[in-house]
Amino acid sequence: MKRIIFTNPAAQKIYDDYIKRVTRCIRLLSADDQRDTLMEINSHIYEATNAALSENEIELLLDTLEKLGSPEEVLQPLVAYKKTQQATRTFNPVHILQAMRLNIANGAAYVILAFFYLLSVSFCILIILKIIYPSHTGLFMQNDRFVAFGFTTELRGGLTELLGQLFIPVVILLMGALYFLNTLLFRLLKKE
Amino acid sequence: MYYICCMNSEFVQNWFSQVKKGTLSYIILIILDEKEYYGYELVQEIKTHTTLEVAEGTLYPLLNRLKAEGIVDSKWVEQESGIPRKYYALSKSGKATLTEMQKIWSALESAINKLQK
Repeated sequence: MKRIIFTNPAAQKIYDDYIKRVTRCIRLLSADDQRDTLMEINSHIYEATNAALSENEIELLLDTLEKLGSPEEVLQPLVAYKKTQQATRTFNPVHILQAMRLNIANGAAYVILAFFYLLSVSFCILIILKIIYPSHTGLFMQNDRFVAFGFTTELRGGLTELLGQLFIPVVILLMGALYFLNTLLFRLLKKE
Repeated sequence: MYYICCMNSEFVQNWFSQVKKGTLSYIILIILDEKEYYGYELVQEIKTHTTLEVAEGTLYPLLNRLKAEGIVDSKWVEQESGIPRKYYALSKSGKATLTEMQKIWSALESAINKLQK
């Protein structure tokens, strides 16, 4: 992106600071989206400051930036939307988590989505625990009553683990089902 | 006079900002139906033809969304200044979308006119 050059050093500093704020706000986006957004904001500033009649650079620039609005506020919907698109396109857990954080304000549906995703992560941890502590991880019953599904440090008498070696395949299946539900919910939300 | 004194201005303001939010994409499509515009030029066009006070920065997330939906196309055009402009134009799907929106708008307008009589 070509930097706009102002003759007044104070105007230059105001412009550079604003561009820095924009860069910070969009850092979660892909490199292409970051470049595109920055170029568009830069183009707007250039056109607005060149179209005006006043010769006072600072006044002109401040007026332009005020009309554009604070990057943190104005770019939030754009970042959230683009991040959601990136998350649904790539299925990358990092992008999904970032998209959820950005969209959490959009409603309860994203809270449910966050819960499902955390549950998937917990299941993943359970698989690791099952490999390290096989007798302490599983589906535990006592006197035909459900006690726990997961990890327990205390193995009381009468406590039996039902799934044994089937525990890991069952957890993988549950994770798959949750991931499918999450993706479905994500796509539904994206369509809104 | 009585009605003016008792008007709930907060309610009217909220209602108006909802109307603004809902109609901005329609206004953009109408403007882009005429010719292609770059961002800043589009803002000026909206200001010239409407009384809507639009925060200029909010236009770009909306244009991005319209592009992602395939309603508008965009292209960067190099300028002598070295700072390119991003031009937006209605896509084929955008033109069909606008025709449908115009039908809905007309139906809504005549329904409201009937109710107001």
